[in-house]
Amino acid sequence: MFTFDHVHFYYKKGQPVIDDVSFTIQAGEFVSIVGANGSGKSTVAKLIDGLLLPKKGTVKFHQLDTANPHDLMKIHQQIGFVFQNPEDQFITTTVMDEVLFGLQNIQVPREEMRGRVEASLRAVHMEDYLDAMPHQLSGGQKQRVAIAAILAMRPQMIIFDEATSMLHPEGRKQVLAIMQDLHHQGMTIVHITHHMEEALQAERILLIHEGRLQFDGDPLRFFETVAVTNYQLQLPFQVRLHKTLQLEGPIAVNWKEGIRSQWSIN
Amino acid sequence: MVYQLNNVSVKYSNRTAVRNISCTIEEGKWISVIGQTGAGKSTFVQVLKGLISNIDGDYLIDQRPVKRDAKGQLMVIPEIGFVFQYPEHQLFETTVFKELVFAPKQQGWSHQQISKSISNVLPLLGLAEDILPLAPFQLSGGQKRRVAIASVLMMNPQLLIVDEPTAGLDPVSKAALLQLLKNWQQQESRTIVFVSHQMEDVAEYSDEVIVFHEGCLVKQLDTRSLFLEQPHLLENIGMSLPESIQFLRIVEELAGEKINISSCREQEILDKILPIWRARGLLNV
Amino acid sequence: MSESVLIGQYIETNSVFHRLDPRTKIVSIFIIMLSFLMLGTVTSYVIATLFVFGILMISKIPFPIFMRGLKPILFILFFTFIYNVLLTKGTVIWSWSFIEVTMEGIQNGVRFVWRIILLVLLASILTLTTKPLELASGLEKLLAPLSKLHVPVEQFSLMIVIAIRFIPTILQELERIILAQKARGHDISNLPFVKRMLAYIPILVPLLFTTVQRAEQLTYAIDARAYGKGKGRTAYKLLQFQQVDYVVGMVAVLFVITVLVIKIGGM
Repeated sequence: MFTFDHVHFYYKKGQPVIDDVSFTIQAGEFVSIVGANGSGKSTVAKLIDGLLLPKKGTVKFHQLDTANPHDLMKIHQQIGFVFQNPEDQFITTTVMDEVLFGLQNIQVPREEMRGRVEASLRAVHMEDYLDAMPHQLSGGQKQRVAIAAILAMRPQMIIFDEATSMLHPEGRKQVLAIMQDLHHQGMTIVHITHHMEEALQAERILLIHEGRLQFDGDPLRFFETVAVTNYQLQLPFQVRLHKTLQLEGPIAVNWKEGIRSQWSIN
Repeated sequence: MVYQLNNVSVKYSNRTAVRNISCTIEEGKWISVIGQTGAGKSTFVQVLKGLISNIDGDYLIDQRPVKRDAKGQLMVIPEIGFVFQYPEHQLFETTVFKELVFAPKQQGWSHQQISKSISNVLPLLGLAEDILPLAPFQLSGGQKRRVAIASVLMMNPQLLIVDEPTAGLDPVSKAALLQLLKNWQQQESRTIVFVSHQMEDVAEYSDEVIVFHEGCLVKQLDTRSLFLEQPHLLENIGMSLPESIQFLRIVEELAGEKINISSCREQEILDKILPIWRARGLLNV
Repeated sequence: MSESVLIGQYIETNSVFHRLDPRTKIVSIFIIMLSFLMLGTVTSYVIATLFVFGILMISKIPFPIFMRGLKPILFILFFTFIYNVLLTKGTVIWSWSFIEVTMEGIQNGVRFVWRIILLVLLASILTLTTKPLELASGLEKLLAPLSKLHVPVEQFSLMIVIAIRFIPTILQELERIILAQKARGHDISNLPFVKRMLAYIPILVPLLFTTVQRAEQLTYAIDARAYGKGKGRTAYKLLQFQQVDYVVGMVAVLFVITVLVIKIGGM
């Protein structure tokens, strides 16, 4: 559905930010793109949505090419983007206007607007904040409004570019739960993060380091085979536990149950 | 030095930010301040630094009331360093060197004092001398953060307030920065007041914890008592126990015995549990 | 502080004026203000005064709020008055050295000051009963014909929205930076003038830097939500004239005609 084909990107020639990266994402997948600060993972995210254009190679969503200005509008509608900073993506002055903003851009019929706004706010549990202004919302709430604004545009895929990293634990939990919800409803999710606990939620991990794709595969194999600290990352707690206690079998995603069952076996 | 607040309240025009805060901050400790957004944490640390000029109640340093200006207002306390969230956003000079000497110059330090302080501070934060002539914008995000912290440490503070200093850093940079701060605090026997939402970091590094809720200081207690004896205090402010401590709890429950640990550091907890695990024959070696 | 920028001076009293289309208010108030330039005779002043105060009553906004709006211009009013009193030639009623106060001067002074007061009161009706965003969309609609001449009216309107949205955010940022620099021993209060100007650098440079970063992020955010330059957008709220708009418009026109008649008839 989505392809990244031998993509190169740089701001200054001779200093590649993305260096020959290729991968494909299937509809309905939940993918985490991980890497340290400055690894290039956020650049990959912006290339996916056509916010940046490749210097070499192609980025395609179905048959739409980000390099084609005509396709770009359709790509923006079909791929939503949640940014890291909740403050800097709230464009208008109320929640209602914020969700309307995208709908007005893609010229949704006026009669449909109200219904779409309400439905998408309900999906992120923000329906009671229709008239709230940005400064009355917490970071987590602003991120949820950003997600609603995207959902209203009915996209097929949403990119979360470190969207949880500036949130407090409560807001982070809420946004992660919404991601899971959307994934179960069939949405394609791309989650950019350096929190390995969060990456463990995905079905597939792409590791970016110094602009190159270093790993592409499922999370358990990632933590078993990759020396993550070499990439400025950290093993999630359950993997540390698994390794310290030298537990049998595969790493349990729910480690608490894993511990209990191991204990009861013996 | 001992910093002491007695019944301190701060009122803004339409609300009370903190109410009747009393606490003592002793030398040589890492003290974490936790609580929800708006619970009063940042007002509390701003009071400590003397950034809020109008407070009710008393603020004593070494039993003496802090200096006030002619109008009776509190003044900034120079012996306390304060690292704000995203401190790299306060950099403004054209070179790292100028950035570092900004505060000392304001205080009228001599050249010798300044260069001595620079040679102390750079290794503390794992920075090399060759970055001194660089412009801050040439540095990576993590380096900028460390330069900003270095510019505060230049003043050789007795007490350092850090407000979520690792926000936005990747896990290894984050652990490295906290460890650098821990080393500085322990080796020089300084005090750190650490505002954080990450219970893992609080458990890992702090000696004491101050818990804030709705503008009140609920409790000041040592880290072990908080996580092991009074975890309900965390629940009340919507924070969860670090996973390592949850793990400890589960093993205690399964084994039906209390496991004695002296600190809440993850490595120690795992080390303590390993023998129990081994004794049960649960290892597949 | 944040709130005050978002709602401007807007005060909810649920009057007729609050329900008016912003375009009606802008145009009506504009032509009435223009007609004030023709005020001359005592009769015309009395009629204009009664008219303006009638509007104030209908707006249901407490009178002290209007008074508050006049405060900042007291200085200007005072000098306008003095200027007229001293520099109008006519029947001298009091003099001291070279200073002469004339009857005509006092009359002129009162007229000028009163006219300014009426203008300010009228203008404040617009800002007190209309939210900044409504004003912006009203202006956008009024200027819409210009987009045929390739004037980017819609982008201009988005700019206004973003400005209203981000002023509080940037002010907060400013407060944060001032506090952070103060904590580093930076104090601007006790410096002589020239040094104080230089002392703003540690505050303004970081502010500029973060604002530029913000702007960059915002550009991405706007692009990501398919905002196409000059592609056309569907409006959610249709501005539509109601009966009350026509009534108010007629009243405004009627007032302007009255002033004209008085002017021409010399009453």
